[in-house]
Formats: sequence, C-alpha cells, structure tokens
Amino acid sequence: MSTRPPHLAQRLLKSFLRDDLYEEVLGDLDEKFLAVAPLGAFRAKVRYWYEVFHYIRPFALKKTRSLHINPYPMWRSYFKIGWRNLLKNRTTSLINIFGLSVGLISCLLIALYVQHEASFDTFQPNASRIVRVIMEYGFNGSPDTQRGNFTSTKVAPVFARTFPEVEYSIRMNEADMIVQHNGNSFKEAHFLFADSSFFNIFDYHLLQGNPKEALNGPRKLLLTASAAKRYFGYESPLNKILIVGSREIPYEVTGVIADYPTNSQIRFDFLASFSSLGANQEETYFEANYTTYLLLRRSDQFGALQEKITSFMKKEMVGSGATINFLLEPFAQIHLHSPYPGFVPNTNITYLYILVAVALLILAIVCFTYINLSTARSMERAREVGIRKVVGAARPQLFAQFIGESFLLFLISVFISIAGAWAAIPFFNDLTGQHFQAQDLHTPFFLLFTIVLILVVSLLAGSFPAMILSGFQPARVLKGIFKNTASAKWLQQSLMVFQFTISVFLIAATLTIQNQLHYIQHKNLGYDRAHVLSLPLNSKVNKQLPLLKQLFKSNTDVIQVSGCVSSPVSIGGGYNMRTPTMSKDAQISVIATPVDEGYVGATGLQLIAGSDLTEQDMKDVADDNPKRVYHFILNESAVRQLGWSVPDAVGKTLDMGERIGFVKGVVKDFHFQSLREAIRPVVLFTENQGYGQILVKISGHNMPAAISFIQKTWKNLLPSVPFEYQFLDDHYLQMYQAEMQLGVVMSLFSAIAILLACLGLLGLSAYSMQQRTKEIGIRKIMGASSWRIVQLLSNQFIRLVALSILIGCPLAYWIMERWLSGFAYRVGVSGWVFATAATACLTVTLFTVGVQGMRAAVSNPVDSLKAE
Amino acid sequence: MRISSTIKNLMIETRLGEFEEVILLLAGILGESAYAFRIAEEFQGQTKRSVSIGAVHSTLTRLEDKGFLKSEMGKSTAERGGRRKRIYTLTAYGKKALAAAREFRQSLWDQYPGFAVRIVAG
Repeated sequence: MSTRPPHLAQRLLKSFLRDDLYEEVLGDLDEKFLAVAPLGAFRAKVRYWYEVFHYIRPFALKKTRSLHINPYPMWRSYFKIGWRNLLKNRTTSLINIFGLSVGLISCLLIALYVQHEASFDTFQPNASRIVRVIMEYGFNGSPDTQRGNFTSTKVAPVFARTFPEVEYSIRMNEADMIVQHNGNSFKEAHFLFADSSFFNIFDYHLLQGNPKEALNGPRKLLLTASAAKRYFGYESPLNKILIVGSREIPYEVTGVIADYPTNSQIRFDFLASFSSLGANQEETYFEANYTTYLLLRRSDQFGALQEKITSFMKKEMVGSGATINFLLEPFAQIHLHSPYPGFVPNTNITYLYILVAVALLILAIVCFTYINLSTARSMERAREVGIRKVVGAARPQLFAQFIGESFLLFLISVFISIAGAWAAIPFFNDLTGQHFQAQDLHTPFFLLFTIVLILVVSLLAGSFPAMILSGFQPARVLKGIFKNTASAKWLQQSLMVFQFTISVFLIAATLTIQNQLHYIQHKNLGYDRAHVLSLPLNSKVNKQLPLLKQLFKSNTDVIQVSGCVSSPVSIGGGYNMRTPTMSKDAQISVIATPVDEGYVGATGLQLIAGSDLTEQDMKDVADDNPKRVYHFILNESAVRQLGWSVPDAVGKTLDMGERIGFVKGVVKDFHFQSLREAIRPVVLFTENQGYGQILVKISGHNMPAAISFIQKTWKNLLPSVPFEYQFLDDHYLQMYQAEMQLGVVMSLFSAIAILLACLGLLGLSAYSMQQRTKEIGIRKIMGASSWRIVQLLSNQFIRLVALSILIGCPLAYWIMERWLSGFAYRVGVSGWVFATAATACLTVTLFTVGVQGMRAAVSNPVDSLKAE
Repeated sequence: MRISSTIKNLMIETRLGEFEEVILLLAGILGESAYAFRIAEEFQGQTKRSVSIGAVHSTLTRLEDKGFLKSEMGKSTAERGGRRKRIYTLTAYGKKALAAAREFRQSLWDQYPGFAVRIVAG
C-alpha cells in the first residue's frame, strides 16, 4: 500500500472546499496523514477520509452563486418544447408511453404480490423469538428418516418443563368442524384448537373477553369479529353457546378477536381451547398430529436450544426401537423457506425470485426501448441543441431540459399505469389466488415504491439520451455534417440484442414450464383418477359407512365405492415392517395406508400378481374378531425392497407394527406423491376404522345424474353432515398449484415481454426507414427491385435477432434444466422449444420490419428525392 | 478581516463556550506554531479526547470572526509539500475574554460552599 493520502478523498475535498482554504487544509490533512501513517497505511487512509468528511461544515463550503435570475419562463419554454415534441413524434411517444405503462403495471402488481408474501407474520411482535417444532423420525434398522410439521401432545409441556430457554409453548390443531347455531349447521374450514398460552405467544387483539381466561378450560371458544358477525349479527356473542362437531358438543363463546392481517401463517375463524379436543394425554412422542410452537426467552438462544434438544431426545429414545428428534424452525421464515406449510400454504422463495427477475427484465426491455428510440431521434434535436448552445445554454442546463422531457413522458405513464393497475387487480387476483384490493396500492409503502421506481427508471432511461444530446458540439452540428455516432449505433444494437435475448429466454422458459405441466397432467400415474369423487368422512359417517356403500352401489352409474384414509393422489404415513426371516431388530420403513376391499377397483390400480382384497378379508380384521389376520397389497418397489420377486411375494407373511398377515396381491408402481418425488415402497392394508374419505368411481356417461343421486342418498342418510365432494383430478392438480401459477404468470409476462420488445423494434425500424428514404429512392432509380430493398432493410435487424437467439437459447436451456431437476419425473428441454422461440422472434421481426420495408420500397422515388 | 465578517460581528455572541475557551488557550500556548493541525493534536494530547481537524478549524474561524483571534498565512516551507500554514494569534480582545472567563469561573468557585467550609459529606 502506498503511503500517500487517498487521491479520491482529495478530489472530494477539492469539490466542496472553499478555494481560499484549500492550501492550508490540504497541508494540515497531509500532516495528520503522516502522523497516523506509522500505525498502518490503511488506518491512515481511513482517518484521512474521516477528516475530509469532517470538513463538510458550513464555514468551509464553497459559496453557491445565486444568480437572481427568474428561471420560470425558461422552464415554461422547456415544458412547451417538450410537450410539442411529444405531440410531433406521435408514434414514438405512443410506443414509449404504452410500453412504459405496461411495464410499470407489471412491476406494480408483482411488487404488490411479493410485498404481501414477504411480509408474512411480520406483524407478530414476538416473531423473532417464536420457533416451530419439526419432527424427524425413523425406525431402528432403517437408514431413512421422515420429517413433518407434526408433533405429539407431549412435546410442548415437556420442552417447557425441561428447557429454561422456553418461555411458553403451545400446541395447535386445525380441523374442519360443523358448527350449529339456532338449528342451522355450517361447515367451518378454519377451526383451530390452541393451548391457553396462545395470547402470550401471539399478538391478537381481543375485542371482547379476557385473554387470560378465554382458552382456560375445555369447551371454550373464541370467534373472529367477522365470524361473530356471521353467526350473531350485531348481538354480543359473549357467553352464548355454539354446537360444535359431529358429536354435537356445546362450546361457550368466551371472546371475540379482532380481524387480523391476511399475511399470517396462523389462520382461523374459530379458536377453541386445546383441552376441548380431549387429545391423547399419554406421555408419548408418537401419535403426532399437532403443531407445536415455542416462545424463546431470547432470540439468540435458537442454536443452543437445538443442540440441547438433540441430545435430550437421544436419551429419551434409548431402547424404544425408533429415533425421534425435533428440529426448530424460525417462525418468520416458515412461509417462504420451509418445506412444511403453516396453517396456510407456503410460498416458495424461488417463485418470488422468479417474479422479481421477470419484473426487472420487463423493466429493462422498456427502458431499452426508450433509450433506443430517443438516441435514434437525437439527430432531430441536434440543430436545436446547437442553437441553444450558441445562444449560451450550458451543458447541465441542456441535460436538465432533456431529462425533464423524460420525466414528463414518464409522469404520463405513471398516471396511466396506476389507473391500469387498479383495473388489473381483479384479473391479477384470479391469476394468483390472492385477495388484493385497490386500497393496497395506496399504502405509504406503495406510494413510496412507485415514486422511487419512477425516479430510478427515468434517471436510468433518461440520463443516457440526455447525456448524448447535451454533448453535441454546436459548430459541427450547425455545419450540417453531423451523423449518428458509431458508439450510439453500437449501443442501440446491443440493447436490441439484449431485449430479444430476454424475449427468447422467456418464451423458451414458458414453453418448457408448459411442457412439464402438460406432462404432469397427462402422465400415466399407475391409477385412474378420472371420474372419481372423494367425499370427506368423519367418525359419525364412518359408522354408517357399510350402509352408505351399499346404497351408492345400487346406482348403475356407480362402478365402485371404497372407504380409505388417503386416495392414491397423496399417500403419507410411515410404518415399519418386517418379515419373519429378517433378524430380530431389523425393520424396513414403508409408507402404508389402510384401505377396504373396494380400493383397487375404485382407483384402477393394476394388479400384476395375486388377487384383490375381498369382503372376507375385511371381516378378518373386524373389531369383534379375536383372531385378526391382515392382508397386504404391495407395490413393486416394496416387493423389490423386501428382496422378493413379484410372483413369489403373494402369500408371504409380513408383520407391520403388530399387524400380522399375508401378502394378497402386488400392484404396479404408481405415483402416490408429487412427481417431484421418486416412487417408494408402499403397502395397502386391510383395516376397518379411521377412514378419512370415501372414493366413489362413477362411469363417465351420466355424471350429473350420478352426482345428484349420491348427494340425495347422503342427505337422506346423514342430514346433519354437509355434503361435499371433490374430484380426484382436481385434488391431483392442487398439488401442482405453484407450478400452475408459475405457468400462467410466465405465459402472461413473456407475452408482455415480447410485445414490448416488438414495440421497440417497430419504433427503431420505422426510424431507420425514415432515415434512408433518399437512399432507397436512389437505389430504386438505379434499378433495385422492391424485394431486394426489403431484404436490404431487414437484414440488419434479422442479424441482431439471430444473435439474440444464439445467446438466449443456451441461457434458457441452462436455467430450465435446473428448474426441471427438482422433479423426479420430468420432460427434457426439447429442441423444438428453442425452434419455436426462435421462429416466433424471427417471424415477429420479419413481419414488423417487412411491413415497414414494403412501405418504403413501394413508395415513389420521386417523392423522396424531389424535396431538398 | 472580511467585510462580511465585520458586519456579522455586530450580531455575534461574544461569550466563550467551553470548547472555544480551550482552543483559544491552546492557540495562545502554541504561539508561533498555532495552526489547525497542531492545535487539534495538542487538544487530543492534553484532553485525551478525539477531535477532527475540521471541527478545530471551524472553531478557529468562528473565534476569528468574533475578533478573539487574528490569522496570517505563514511562510512556505519544504514540509507538507510546500503548502503554507495559517497561523493564529490572540488579539488583545481575545486575551481579555480569556481573563474574563477565568475571573467569572473563579468567582463561582469562591461562592461554592464545599471549598469555603470543607464539609465532607458522609
């Protein structure tokens, strides 16, 4: 390092320091620098900067000259000239305003969405101290572990007792509940059970009731203000009784909670005391069905507590035959970063990044169009600049004038885009499944964002043309030998290449996403999800199940009925199993789910060995049967993992967590989880209880009649349970909601991007034609054909677009490969995607340029040549 | 002295602040070598408080405006790249102001009971 004072600091000092002080101050600072230098050159330099900044004081600053000139008439003149220019170049102005508005609308809406998602849970004052507990479990003898956002009832009290870091702990459980009031019953999807520590951990404002007692005891219930209004109108709900659930238990309303922001991972309309669940009070880490949150005393105790928990759990699980550990997740990061949702679906942070990137790309396209068009047009203003300079305009003044003109244009676009964003909100809500309102655009944050956005964009896009324009040399300009500079042309061309690279990339990316979505929707999953209805069950319906199945089957359109825990769309539930030939402690962990004899028939699973389950098999596991024998249906992967071959497997003995029985059949592998996951071993086993849904397979011929028959039957048999159903198809697609949204959003924005890029091309080519009218006239006189002239004119643009394709395609390939690698079952990035993107861009270019070229080529050369 | 500062003088507060008093004293102590950098160094050495040259310079200018100091550019020397220093000297008015400040303080000390009676509080 040199031991000379930093040059930049000296220049800074010189820029603001009064000239008459310069010598003495510089001398003083030099001495200071030398005095500190022995302590190290870096320290000396830092000190030098520090001293320079401390000279920014009123006494030392240069006096600004005040000229006492009234600038107002000049501003008025600038404004008038700017306005006239807008009107004169109507096409360019319209292209710019339209492009800017569309770009800004896209940005505003994306910002709205991103801000909403990023602000999740920030309104909780304790957010930094709350953690969620994730359970990680595996069985001895098996290397794989599973994780999930569920824990047993034991975790919260034990952790609060054992670890001093935990101030409060809470268990929660969300359920669908039927709520009855005055003889009417309603299904409530957001019914949350929570411990009484709820109000110690989370910040919810109580309109009525006492937070200390509201959840303190069984059968107590709080409502949100809007839920209260639905049930009680303007009456006070306090101490009223609501009948809850299929067992019709009366709950006392103990409070009303003010409606809370929608950007919350904890969502409820009803909040009931956890003790009313009568949940398993046994001290076990199994039976994990609840969400546990902890409030730490200090936010920095996170890591220490995690270590303590890990060693604590090792001790707890000794000799239990399983390993369970609990992992902590910071509350504020769950919505964007956790693979496990809160009480609302999570948003993947990557998805937000993609959106922001798309917004920036669109903004870049718009800015580049503006820069291109204004620099191209700068020739027209050259003479004006020359005259202004001759009359005495200084460069900063001209710079201000031109950047002011940009502001004018951008200001117009801002008003249009704010109005446009208002109008587009309902459409945007459909697209993203959110509930934004026009008011969300008027928050202080958003106004600030809009202002900053517009300032940045107009400075970025406006300063370059302004710099070029204000830099013209009057003598050269006025002599009339002035040409667009080579560097400006180079800039225009590279910006255009950039725009089309973005377009090619977005088109290819969109097509690949759509390909994958198409693949997901049409892949043969190993089961048939068409025309299958899924009806949710609860314990009350479970009792009536045999009768219900019988009644449903009496209709000829109903092909098969099955009670089960999960449909083949999504099977979860870890079990451990072993065969008699395995060593005593060895276990294999599998995913398994209880089914009945109709399951294989209703879902169209393909049996490749053995036979289907029968009613007799179900009787073998009936509650009143003292010698229960289970029957299993395995998939191919499970057979492989057990080391058997498919035909041999049938009839073998299996022991799955105390359920002993025989393999009845083997089905072909099927996708029972998202296509992001590889197929794993799965076991279907006979069991009569605890079903969560009925699957009804109907023929596709007479669907409305079949559905209304099912509904009527249900209503007759179970008048108090609301009838609801979902097609398995829809359930399947819900798993890919994020991808679907991505697909729609990407299609929309890539369409916008290519539209904007074309607008820029249109403006630029129109201008270039206009510049070359004389040349074209002479060429025609010399005998060039119209075709040849169109060719000549389009050539340069085609070359640029071809270059963009060369850059854009590998880029798209690389990024889309990375996106696709998140799926275990996926399409490749195929060549025709790039072919389509390239063809689209070239066609659009040819069309845009060609139409204008034709116009120039067929015009009469006399017209362009006679006027001088 | 510039005209503007003479005019400003009419409106300027002539009492000394604590920092001003110290700077003025230091300027008097350093004599021939009283310029901004040296005064700042001396200030740090004597008070163990860090100060920027800019702050000292600003105070010196203010004291000059008040008429307590006058200044002159020194001779060009080989050190600091031949750049000249601005040397500050106390004016008679400045000396008077220092003396007045000291007297005022002394009179306050004289009235302070702890000194007169020397009672040690338990």
